[in-house]
Amino acid sequence: MLLVGQQRCRTGPTRREILQVGAATALGLWLGAPAVASSSAPAKRVLLLWLWGGPAQLDTWDPKPDAPLDIRGPFSAIPTKVTGVRVGELFPKVAARLDRVAILRSLRTSSNDHGVAGTAGLTGSAAGGVGLNGKPLPGVARPALGSVVARLQNARAKFPPFMVVGGKLHQGKKAIIGEGGGTLGGLYDPFRLVYDPAEGKTKIPALELDKGLTPERLDDRQRLLAAMDDLRRTVDRGPLGEYRQQGFDLLTNPSAWKMFDLASESPGLRDRYGRTRFGQSCLLARRLLEHGVPFVQVNWSDHVEAEEDAGDGGWDHHYRNFQLMQDRHACWLDQTYAALLDDLHDRGLLASTLVIAVGEFGRTPKINDKAGRDHWEHCYSALLAGGGVQGGRVVGSSDKQAAHPVDTPVTPMDLVATVQHAIGATSEAVQTLGVATTGRAITELFA
Amino acid sequence: MTHRLGEPGASAPGGPCRRQKGDLRGLTPPARLAVYLVAALLPWALRADDPPPAVKRLTTDGSFKQHLAWSPDGSRLLFTRIHQGRMALWTMAADGSDLKLLLEPPANSVQFDGSWSPDGKRIVFVFDQFEGTDGKLRIESIAADGSDRKEVIPHKAFEESPRLSPDGKRLVWVSTRDGNQELYSADPAGKGIKRLTSEAAPDNAPAWSPDGKRLAFSSGRHGNFEIHAMNADGTDVRRLTNHPALDYWPTWSPDGKWLVFTSNRDGNYELYRMRPDGSDLTNLTRQPANDNFATFSPDGKRLAFVSNRDGGSDVYVLTLE
Repeated sequence: MLLVGQQRCRTGPTRREILQVGAATALGLWLGAPAVASSSAPAKRVLLLWLWGGPAQLDTWDPKPDAPLDIRGPFSAIPTKVTGVRVGELFPKVAARLDRVAILRSLRTSSNDHGVAGTAGLTGSAAGGVGLNGKPLPGVARPALGSVVARLQNARAKFPPFMVVGGKLHQGKKAIIGEGGGTLGGLYDPFRLVYDPAEGKTKIPALELDKGLTPERLDDRQRLLAAMDDLRRTVDRGPLGEYRQQGFDLLTNPSAWKMFDLASESPGLRDRYGRTRFGQSCLLARRLLEHGVPFVQVNWSDHVEAEEDAGDGGWDHHYRNFQLMQDRHACWLDQTYAALLDDLHDRGLLASTLVIAVGEFGRTPKINDKAGRDHWEHCYSALLAGGGVQGGRVVGSSDKQAAHPVDTPVTPMDLVATVQHAIGATSEAVQTLGVATTGRAITELFA
Repeated sequence: MTHRLGEPGASAPGGPCRRQKGDLRGLTPPARLAVYLVAALLPWALRADDPPPAVKRLTTDGSFKQHLAWSPDGSRLLFTRIHQGRMALWTMAADGSDLKLLLEPPANSVQFDGSWSPDGKRIVFVFDQFEGTDGKLRIESIAADGSDRKEVIPHKAFEESPRLSPDGKRLVWVSTRDGNQELYSADPAGKGIKRLTSEAAPDNAPAWSPDGKRLAFSSGRHGNFEIHAMNADGTDVRRLTNHPALDYWPTWSPDGKWLVFTSNRDGNYELYRMRPDGSDLTNLTRQPANDNFATFSPDGKRLAFVSNRDGGSDVYVLTLE
């Protein structure tokens, strides 16, 4: 596995690492495709903060202070920078920046199973999703939102057009369907990075040497090129020369190496993001966006469950919801999201970067008998900022218990259409490229 | 007799021609008002500008920590730490050295929220056994050297936050066995269980007073988490804080004269100190980062806590005035 960070004195990759990337490009190809998104569109790039496990709408962006105690929970609602709009008290930093953020309070999805709702949230459709029962839903999984944007935005980029920061998403031990290119093919699978807070390094999991790619066997450049030709045959499209060139572009371009290395950021900024995995992953994501990657997805965790529940810190708070929120999740999200917005704004990137923070569903209004909240697909919330989104706006509303939308009900497919709208993809383009949706762009979010 | 600034009758000793401190009779009304406002607001302004108190940083690894507890002899600190993806109980010397894992987590389990027995020989804690994608919380105890693990409160519901009384004869903990988080007590072997609270809202984070007569705790019964205190038998519940922000994780000073707790009333988590009746409230940390999970040293002179003021989650010590 290739590690970036800490050792910063060398000027480029070793031969071994070049060989490793040769292997990796076969796993995460980023062949060029014509750019079809409008150059005048407000969003030039998209950042999806995937809050895996499903945050509770009542404890985050849709508090109901007048609901009964066993609904509203023990947290207050605090005023924000937008008069009349309140959010959960655990998010004071977000509240102070709500003039730059829109809240979508009327999302609903089709399943309360992480596997199925995860597929729907990532692709816009539950088709092909696999739930706890292990049976795939009818239909073929659509491409991930990132793959769609990669397809629409890809302008022969130097770097992979769809990058994920974080491990593969799981429910239990099952990987979630919908993180990849789907019907667009493996060419649009994400290139994955993982930030390891314990080691303080960025890792590139795909860059583990394939058995057939040992340095001993590939002892010169000619053999490397031949090996890459072999790898190329494992996929059935794309011009070989371009593939090879882009692989080497990544290797030989110092900016690629620098892009992954968080050590080049100031310690103060790294602190502001928070030295958590999510915090540093978001900082890494900003660097990727800044270097021209059109779509970055940051996974809050690999697993839905919290550490106390056989997971790695997800939002699936069936029990101890309020302790987990006040001790960890809310603090981390509040700090990192605020730092991210400020950083993007300070660099002049926010206006052209659509930032979406959302999970796969919400959580039950009624607090369960384990001091937690269970899965709730009927109503949940998202934050959207930048990329033409009108800050301070609240779109959609829910009933008195945040149980059901009462106006502007929208779905994950509508979010896909919204992203396509934000990047200026025409209906003709999405039809031509096979990424058309049945969703409606939520134009109420935009100025 | 004392007189307020500008108040009639506030004559200055030493003769009428000599204006003394506090004598505003020679000033115009607007000037008097200005002086009055400055006098009234100056202490507040100075306080607001006070730099945060100096603290000593004990850890630098930055990995997530919570539930800090100082050992009765003052030599060690116990806390929950997530290290390399595993949540477990750790201890370290009170100067930050000698970091040790208390218990190698058995397969499919984590441990958290530990506290010391009064003699410092044992630790009670939450043991969470995973079952599928769910966990089963129970209360266990273990010798301070990591040996002799015992179950104290079996999993009936979600059992957590165990705290032994100062005389070691009662255990208070939080359980959802009656539908939401309530406080219960039992003997140290888990027998003689008694329910102490009965509210629709959660009650949690119990802390024994040093004399063992009172329990401070956090309760959402008034709409958001506030600090409360009650007798050890659950009677005489009194609300100590009244603020729309979160007030949480109370801890008593060893002399019983103060309670320190976490509050986000200033927009981030800070450590506040107040008298056991809720009076004399002071922000102890005054820092833009989050400070949480305070625990007193046995001599009451220092306060250890977890903060992210340097980016990661680390343990710090504040010396109290």
